[in-house]
Amino acid sequence: MQSNQSFAEVFKAGGVSRRDFLKFCSLTSVYLGLSPSMVPTIVEAMEKKTRTPVIWLHGLECTCCSESFIRSSHPTIEDLIFNMISLDYDDVLSAAAGHQLEDVRRKTMKDYKGKYILAIEGNISTKDDGVYCMVGGDSFLNTVKETAADAAAVIAWGACASFGCVQNAHPNPSGAVPISDIIKDKPIVKVPGCPPISEVMTGVVTHFHTFGTLPELDRFGRPKAFYNTRIHDKCYRRAFFEAGQFVRSFDDDATRKGWCLYKMGCKGPTTYNSCSKIQWNGGTSFPIGSGHPCIGCSEPNFWDNGPFYTRLAEVPFLGSDSNAYKIGVIAVGAAAAGAAAHAAVTAVKKAKSGSEDNDKD
Amino acid sequence: MGRIFEEIYVWRLPVRLYHWINALCTVVLFVTGLYIAYPLFNPPLGEAVFYKGMSWWRYIHFAIAFIFIANFLFRMYWAVFGGDKYARFGGFRPWSPSWWGTPFREQVASYLFLRSEEPNYVGHNPVAALAHFLFIFCGSSFMIFSGLAMYGENNPGGFNSVWFGWMIPLMGGSYTLHWAHHLMSWIFPIYLIMHLYAVFRHDVVDRTSVTSSIITGYKHKVEEEPT
Repeated sequence: MQSNQSFAEVFKAGGVSRRDFLKFCSLTSVYLGLSPSMVPTIVEAMEKKTRTPVIWLHGLECTCCSESFIRSSHPTIEDLIFNMISLDYDDVLSAAAGHQLEDVRRKTMKDYKGKYILAIEGNISTKDDGVYCMVGGDSFLNTVKETAADAAAVIAWGACASFGCVQNAHPNPSGAVPISDIIKDKPIVKVPGCPPISEVMTGVVTHFHTFGTLPELDRFGRPKAFYNTRIHDKCYRRAFFEAGQFVRSFDDDATRKGWCLYKMGCKGPTTYNSCSKIQWNGGTSFPIGSGHPCIGCSEPNFWDNGPFYTRLAEVPFLGSDSNAYKIGVIAVGAAAAGAAAHAAVTAVKKAKSGSEDNDKD
Repeated sequence: MGRIFEEIYVWRLPVRLYHWINALCTVVLFVTGLYIAYPLFNPPLGEAVFYKGMSWWRYIHFAIAFIFIANFLFRMYWAVFGGDKYARFGGFRPWSPSWWGTPFREQVASYLFLRSEEPNYVGHNPVAALAHFLFIFCGSSFMIFSGLAMYGENNPGGFNSVWFGWMIPLMGGSYTLHWAHHLMSWIFPIYLIMHLYAVFRHDVVDRTSVTSSIITGYKHKVEEEPT
């Protein structure tokens, strides 16, 4: 196994001379607006700082996060894994397999104790000692606990690792839980989405690599840089929303005109993500751009907030055809019926007592 | 009919003003809120910039919501500092065993037809006080907090986002917060039915002119018909 190289070593291996390397450092200081006295600091950092070691685990998941990740365009995946991070363990992308690969994971954990990033894709089955997700002969639950113990930070990739996704949707047969339910003592960055946008994933890694700190997080532990605003607030169809011009069925004229998908169950108004800014596949399009309502995949429990094509969620414990509106109407009806019944009893009692009074008289 | 022999000034002007502003706001908020959830009308075809089919409803909802909040805060001020015997919190002590005692039980029994005699209160009876606490105080508070949290969503890091945004993780996410706001809005029509029924019934049974008292401020005691 090749040991983790510093940037200077990477440059040297790539045929860059010492002279050119120092030139590069000087130019960098100029670009960063630093004084000439800072050049030695940059040189030192470039010579000593190694690529960030990353262990990437796969639990209960569909690998859509990895599929998204390898399609990043800014930065490209090559740039990321050759120049920024050292992806030491990833059972999906590695050439090695089996015991050989598991040894690499343990070696990285030992060599870079407290310095490596643990990236987790998928969530953890906890029911029956986690027997519903076995990787490398051990339960994923144990593997995560073991690997997280010496990690600098944990990145939870995708809706699975962040919030649970489809595995822990009602009724959650395998007892799947998000990473944050198991790992409590490490900083966790949640990068939800099903999958997350590739540039968001590489952006989070780049941030950690560049600044050595985790990005600023919102109340759900998501990086603010990408999850600070709603799809709705940056949506190019927002004008149709404000105008009240809505698609009412997927084959009507409004669909062809590209009107707002609010009435088709679009979760854009309640979903925090960058789809309407960064878009997908190098800026090609995003769900709403392709005429499909947002399903809210970067929000907690989005599978339970269904159905996807209606505005309001069903209430799980009240059956499959209940929503806030129906419950409200029924409750108002019940209140009216109750008041009417009470009035009737009052009237009867009054009539009775009235006749009794008359009898007395 | 009996003769009016006593006039009692119960609802002072601030209370009456609060009541009617609150009633009006609640109705408007409920109707506009329903429309925002279920936009019915489609504007004619044309450029989006010419129409405000959704933004007007939202604008009215937000504007009235702020009046509703101001009115609510005013009523809280009046309850605490108003020195108004019939409009203060003092009479309502659900944490105290004495509050659950005889007056409350008598009133419940009377509503359940277990007592023939109707207790008569000048202000709110204990059951009414409980209903107002649950529906108006707790209900309005929830709608205000959840509403401001959602209002703050369009300006992350702004005042409403910072001070009320904690409602979003508390309710499990923006979507469930919206859902809870929708569901809780239905307590207002339910309350309205119960409120109107109770007022009309008390007016008929007790003959204290409670219905008109929220306009005039006065309740009346009527002499029993001479036998």
